[in-house]
Amino acid sequence: MQFTIERGALLKALGHVQNVVERRNTIPILSNVLLSADRSASGGQVSFSATDLDMEIVDTAEAIVSVPGQITAPAHTLYEIVRKLPDGADVELKFAAGDDPRLSVSAGRSRFALPVLPAGDFPIMSSDHEGVSYQILRDDLKRLIDKTRFAVSTEETRYYLNGLFLHCLAEDGSNYLRAVATDGHRLALAEMPAPEGAMGGAGVIIPRKTIDQARRLLDDGTGYVDMTVSPAKIRFQFGNASLTSKIIDGSFPDYGRVIPKGNDKVMTVDAGILSKAVDRVSTISAEKSRSVKMTIEPGRLTLSVRNIEAGQAVEEAEIDYDNETLDIGFNARYIMDVMGQIGGDTVELRFSDASSPTLVLDPVDNGVQYVLMPLRV
Amino acid sequence: MDSDLPEMRQRKIIHIDMDAFFASVEQRDHPELRGKPVAVGGGSERGVVAAASYEARKYGVHSAMPSVTAKRKCPDLIFVRHRFDVYKQVSRQIRDIFEDYTPLVEPLSLDEAYLDVTENRKGMASATEIAEEIRARIWETTQLTASAGVSYNKFLAKLASDQNKPNGLFVIKPAMGPVFAASLPVKKFHGIGPATAAKMNRLGLYTGEDIRNQTLDFLEQHFGVSGRYYYGISRGIDHRQVRPDRERKSIGAENTFFTDTTDFDTAWGFLDPLIDKVWRYVEANDIKGRTVTLKVKFSDFRIITRSRSGLVPVMSKPELTGYVRALLEGVFPVSKGIRLLGVTLSSLGERAENETEQLSLSL
Repeated sequence: MQFTIERGALLKALGHVQNVVERRNTIPILSNVLLSADRSASGGQVSFSATDLDMEIVDTAEAIVSVPGQITAPAHTLYEIVRKLPDGADVELKFAAGDDPRLSVSAGRSRFALPVLPAGDFPIMSSDHEGVSYQILRDDLKRLIDKTRFAVSTEETRYYLNGLFLHCLAEDGSNYLRAVATDGHRLALAEMPAPEGAMGGAGVIIPRKTIDQARRLLDDGTGYVDMTVSPAKIRFQFGNASLTSKIIDGSFPDYGRVIPKGNDKVMTVDAGILSKAVDRVSTISAEKSRSVKMTIEPGRLTLSVRNIEAGQAVEEAEIDYDNETLDIGFNARYIMDVMGQIGGDTVELRFSDASSPTLVLDPVDNGVQYVLMPLRV
Repeated sequence: MDSDLPEMRQRKIIHIDMDAFFASVEQRDHPELRGKPVAVGGGSERGVVAAASYEARKYGVHSAMPSVTAKRKCPDLIFVRHRFDVYKQVSRQIRDIFEDYTPLVEPLSLDEAYLDVTENRKGMASATEIAEEIRARIWETTQLTASAGVSYNKFLAKLASDQNKPNGLFVIKPAMGPVFAASLPVKKFHGIGPATAAKMNRLGLYTGEDIRNQTLDFLEQHFGVSGRYYYGISRGIDHRQVRPDRERKSIGAENTFFTDTTDFDTAWGFLDPLIDKVWRYVEANDIKGRTVTLKVKFSDFRIITRSRSGLVPVMSKPELTGYVRALLEGVFPVSKGIRLLGVTLSSLGERAENETEQLSLSL
């Protein structure tokens, strides 16, 4: 195998795939990236694959391929080398089987020799993609992910919450594609009109790591993403790069019943002011709970934190509210996470009481809903 | 019996008991409920009254009564949802007042505590004066009334607080103690429930004096270890200390059947209020327990216990109910009649005073 490729194109392709590779691996080949060089009429193309056995990212780049072939080499090392090469350099990658098999990487006066493992040992995810295929605008997919992924659980016991639940549903005669995430304390929901062809696809729980990778890949490029969803796998095709992932085998809970419908104590407040004020007073919250107490009265919100060791903090904010006084506590981080996703200047918080779920709405985006469970303070 | 105990200085004990606590808090915060029969607790068919206002008590409504019965006794009864957060906050306020007088405060629940004021922080000589001051300060701070009992031991102080309820004070002076205990009907004694009272009546014991006239042997023969306690209190003697650091190891409730039973459904129906009582305590005090124990005493006084422990605490009443039922199912069929059933939750973990609890979505 031998090919020459422009440093920028190589860096971009390796950058796309190398994040999948775990830093510590018990299976040596999973630390490697698979390089496959093919010659074609237009010159040549190299594909780069990395996997952690649960997901696989493949990216392709154009190259001058003089000898087609395949080999695997350490992904992080290769990426670091390429990153440090001078901008605009041509990089030659060469591998020849022999007594001392190495991948040689050379550019200008730099030469590297990297250990390799045979391409035949590299695990490839089967590409038999049955399932529903549809196209979705990158910006739409970004929105679904950004508005919800912060609420994905990291706790292992309820593994079916360790991902984003993506599903289609028909409501009031319209079809929606909806993403939901919850960690049991809060819930985030974002939806959009279902893209053409999306209906009928299985509801899938996409693992957190897959979501993170997909989100990174979404930043490069514009236009549409091709999605294929089956009950066992999901595949995203972003231009040259594709991401294929297993999905979490489990059923997502019936989240609809924890979204409060009748909360009638409505507070409207400037989202930025609320977020900053919560951030300030929570400076002295206990590390673990980060609790902040809200006292909500007509026209005025008082945020307070009382910490026996660290002292106390109080801040007031102007609000729109004309209901009975309410004392309620929240985890400061949960409030700030939600405020970070509010598109409008103001945000609407709908309360029931101090121990029931609170609904948070974005006045400029009626396709998102957030539910926050209070802290008992 | 007291002769072998070391000579003790006369103590000054106050028992403070908030009047119809949960219900009074609700009436305080919702003026439209004042003067009306109010029950705190589930108004649902299976619910139980957690507390009743004095207006409701006139109709015979009392705590732990099934909501259905309460509604029948008092058709105008207003059910309100409990707000334990508020009750706890008030409880903290009154606890702060107690602490101004003495560090020796032993809370029995959110609304009740023993105080040993023999030595007190204000250097006041009169326990009665302290009790009055505390009652006044409770009113000032919370707009709620409390009753106080003052005496020289816990048993009599608790009896005393009940004498002039609500919003009253009663003192049992040392000279009065034995007389007072002797005159009391047995069912008024703390720790003597309806079934034990009935048994005492069958033995011809109706008052404290009747108990006092029995030998220790007689009482122990009929009431086991409790006999010794009855022997003491019938003489107005109770050496239990006020223990401020008393840490609960378990939460339990038990009750004796009027007639022994061998029927599963009867036994199960009997457990329901016990589970309810335990769970109310759990909720009101923010305690979580991992071990559920069922205690069964048979007609021959043989006692067996069956328990299950989880890695995580019991989180809900239905969960607790399920465990208790499974334990009871394991006991049946029984060869002897069941005389007493008890439910206990242990392996407790209490939340620290200033710790907060993140509530969960019911997913």
